Amino acid sequence: MSSAQIAVERIELPADSPARRPLAKLAWHWRNNPKRELWLAWYAIVAFYQMFFIVFFLITRAQPPGKPWWNSTQVVQWFDQMHNGLLWGFAVIFLLGGMSAFSTALIAYSMRRMSVSPAFAYSYLIMYSLAAVPGMLLLCVALTAGALRPDRDPELIHAIFDLAFVSFVGTMGVFLIGSVIWMVAILLDKNRVFPKWFAYLNLCNALTEVVIAPACIFKRGVFSWNGQISWWLDMVVFGIYTGAFIGQLRTMILREDVGTGPLPDAAPRPAADAAVPAGAAA
Amino acid sequence: MSTTFDPPAEAAAAAPVDWDRASRDNVPGQPDIWLFVLFETLVFAGYFGFYLYNRPRHPGAYLAAQQELHLPLGIVETLTLLTSSLLIARSVEAARSQQWNTALRNAYATASCGVLFLTLKVIEWISEARAGNTPISNEFFSYYYFLTGLHLLHLLIGFAFLGVLVHRLRGPAARSREVIETCGVYWHTVDYLWVLIFALLYVVR
Repeated sequence: MSSAQIAVERIELPADSPARRPLAKLAWHWRNNPKRELWLAWYAIVAFYQMFFIVFFLITRAQPPGKPWWNSTQVVQWFDQMHNGLLWGFAVIFLLGGMSAFSTALIAYSMRRMSVSPAFAYSYLIMYSLAAVPGMLLLCVALTAGALRPDRDPELIHAIFDLAFVSFVGTMGVFLIGSVIWMVAILLDKNRVFPKWFAYLNLCNALTEVVIAPACIFKRGVFSWNGQISWWLDMVVFGIYTGAFIGQLRTMILREDVGTGPLPDAAPRPAADAAVPAGAAA
Repeated sequence: MSTTFDPPAEAAAAAPVDWDRASRDNVPGQPDIWLFVLFETLVFAGYFGFYLYNRPRHPGAYLAAQQELHLPLGIVETLTLLTSSLLIARSVEAARSQQWNTALRNAYATASCGVLFLTLKVIEWISEARAGNTPISNEFFSYYYFLTGLHLLHLLIGFAFLGVLVHRLRGPAARSREVIETCGVYWHTVDYLWVLIFALLYVVR
């Protein structure tokens, strides 16, 4: 049986087969599934974004961002209130933040699976690898440094606060170009890796990244780094986009035949109690 | 845009493989581009919503700033884009009946209108900036530069779509009715977004 057939076909096992039990099924896939690395990367992406949300929105409260118009006293108060959350939350990011690489890697893989030049995948990979440092880690480092020694000069704490959030919004241009690269790759692709609507959704996402640029100019209002347009509306679009691309990557893995040429359509789902995926079909 | 298709008999013999595909579909162009239209409309509705929410909080300041705009220039810009929309519709119609030269001429004319709009907009920006109306002057002009700038970005991307259109019209092997119509749909989106922006910034008091 060819790898392509393994990837898209499903077989039915007897009802009393050991491979039907969850742990046995997992072990079987671990040993035999040619797409296990892809699935590991995909589950890591899901885990990363959940962790990102919990840490940034709930534990550290670094998102939504602090107010850009605060004076030094207010910034120091903010650090005091968030002290433990910042230290514990960002400790988690320092430990597990590298999981963001799975997202970049799987997206680059999707472009390598397309019929387009590898330059698309490599450009995306390099840009996002570099952008993760100022876009995420520098914010974490700066806010941790601010929280670590509350007795510092308030002006210095204020500068750290600005550095953190300007660093966060300052990398949006990278995400803009990254989305455009992915969009062009999808539109040019002949292997049908992603639907064309997803290319246009990339364009929508890229255009909303542009909106963040005024945050470097405005300290108040809808265009500041926490403004209704620059942050809230963008976050809605980014949330939809992130959900869409995680779903599309999952569909891509389901359809992947570990070969070349156009991706086959996804195999139909078997009846819940009558079949288990065969080979790579998870 | 009509999807009826009635090519001359001699042209139909040499028609590309997918040429009558769109006549079987419910919408012109790729159905996917309509999701883009929907999504961009929703995003712009958000921008307009914030503008309309903030405007009544400082009605006097907004009205005073709004009167600084060149309404006649805005009207000329609007007419320019509406003309460009008419021209690209004619281009797509000509392509449907496989009158390639007519389609190309209309595509070039569309691009010319786009360049004219771009030029007028830059002139308007320079004029406003010289009059002291910059993005940080007041809230109204923040919205003005933001919305017109974002729209201009859509227009620049529209030139890429026009490039694809011309490429598809010039090469017999590259002709695809679906792609040609998709380019038309994008350009109409640029046009109708401008009409909304024009009404909101220049006209509504």
